[in-house]
Amino acid sequence: MSKEKISSQEIVDLVAAKALVSKRAADEFLKVMILTIEEALLAGDVVKIKNFGTFKLHWNEPRKSVNVQTGEDIILSGYHKVSFTPDTQLRDLVNEPFAHLDAVQLDGEPVEHSIPAEAVIDPLRTFNEQASEIKNILDEIKGLSSKPVVSELQDVEKADIETELEKFEDELPKQTQENLSMAVETEQIVGHVDVVQPVQETYTNKVEESNSTDHEYIQSTTETIPEIESEAILPLEISEKKKHKAWLWILIISVLLGGSGLGLCCFYPPLKDSVYKMTQNVSLADMLNTFSGWFTPKPKKVDMTETVVIPKDTTAMETVSENIAAVDSLQVLFDNPRVFTEYLGTERIHDGSRLTKISKRYYGSKDFWVYIYEANREHISNPDHISVGTIIKIPKLDSRLIDVSNERCLQKAKELHDIYVK
Amino acid sequence: MNHKELIAAMATKMNAPKSVVEALLETTVKTCAELLLGEKTIGFQSFGNFEVRKKEERLSVHPATQIRTLIPPKLVVNFKQSNILKDKLKDLPHHE
Repeated sequence: MSKEKISSQEIVDLVAAKALVSKRAADEFLKVMILTIEEALLAGDVVKIKNFGTFKLHWNEPRKSVNVQTGEDIILSGYHKVSFTPDTQLRDLVNEPFAHLDAVQLDGEPVEHSIPAEAVIDPLRTFNEQASEIKNILDEIKGLSSKPVVSELQDVEKADIETELEKFEDELPKQTQENLSMAVETEQIVGHVDVVQPVQETYTNKVEESNSTDHEYIQSTTETIPEIESEAILPLEISEKKKHKAWLWILIISVLLGGSGLGLCCFYPPLKDSVYKMTQNVSLADMLNTFSGWFTPKPKKVDMTETVVIPKDTTAMETVSENIAAVDSLQVLFDNPRVFTEYLGTERIHDGSRLTKISKRYYGSKDFWVYIYEANREHISNPDHISVGTIIKIPKLDSRLIDVSNERCLQKAKELHDIYVK
Repeated sequence: MNHKELIAAMATKMNAPKSVVEALLETTVKTCAELLLGEKTIGFQSFGNFEVRKKEERLSVHPATQIRTLIPPKLVVNFKQSNILKDKLKDLPHHE
């Protein structure tokens, strides 16, 4: 864009030629024009010229800057600036070459801010958590599959499950009281339990189904299903013969079963009457219980609910409701007042003793000091200042309560911490 | 000060009828517009420069709806005051 500059003199000449007046008259006119505009601006006025534009005064605030050479801070003083806003006619005239262009919306529709998923669908979030938990357990089972765990399962399996069912039935009413929204679901669950108990065979079938819900979890979270599935089918076909060979096999098969998807269920609908498969399925459920008992106490609950809450068809809705039940069993544990009957030992407070340190030593995390405090409330008036020489008892806690790897346990401990330390 | 007031003020200074002043002003404005259209810079001594500047196309995002819009390039008239005018304006107190 070449910028040829037109001086005042040239303007005078052009105006004189156009208006058919003498150059002197045109020169005088232009001078007066500029003078008048200046005067008006100096008086703080706005000058508007038709079809041309508006002159306005604008105050630029003083601002800080830095001297580039010395690095010193300097202040640039404020000043007035004459701003010129072209009139619509002049503006359109000048912009003629680009007038045909229009602003283009690149996005067809407004991009809506997705509502934070956690806030809205809390059950779903816990669902995902649990899905990954189960995934972890299955992985760990794979890693431990060589260990001779299974022998102990053989005798107790059925009895175990039945007692657990009864235990769970006891728990259910509590949950209904606490969580009204769950009321309907819980009723369903109880109804199912009633059906299940008398008939052991249907129970097994439903265990199978519940396994498939289990599968759904994994299907939704892992992408490795296909290979597991193919592995799973093969051993199953020959498993009838190998049944007495080793329990190890059954363990592996169960693990793979746990990993395989719904498809497996479709492939083997007639599992119902086979004796072998019954034992197999029961052992799976039991094993999951045992394993989860080792690693995290919470999944044990999860499994129990899964065995009991038997969805007729495995829809996502029902799996979510299972999760609510499972999560709440832990909540019940949190909410119930803790009764300390057994003690791991006693500690004598000396100079520099801290409940947090003791907690770290006994429970593996300093966050759980609140439980020590709870157990020794009659001796401790202020948890921050315990008098030297006080003998405190270290309570034996439910392992589910002080699970260092469980975020909710830590969360609960922190809540208590906030209550006690004010 | 609007157009009419400006003409009136100028007419009294020049001792000329308003109609003449008005005609002259119109001619000046037309000439200026033509010169600007010819991509030329107009310099009024001791007042400032008028020039046409090109604003490049840009992408704007609506902060609320996140709609991205491509703003086309455009030509705008820009005025830059001369230093003489700036100095004159220095004496002006600013009211805040």
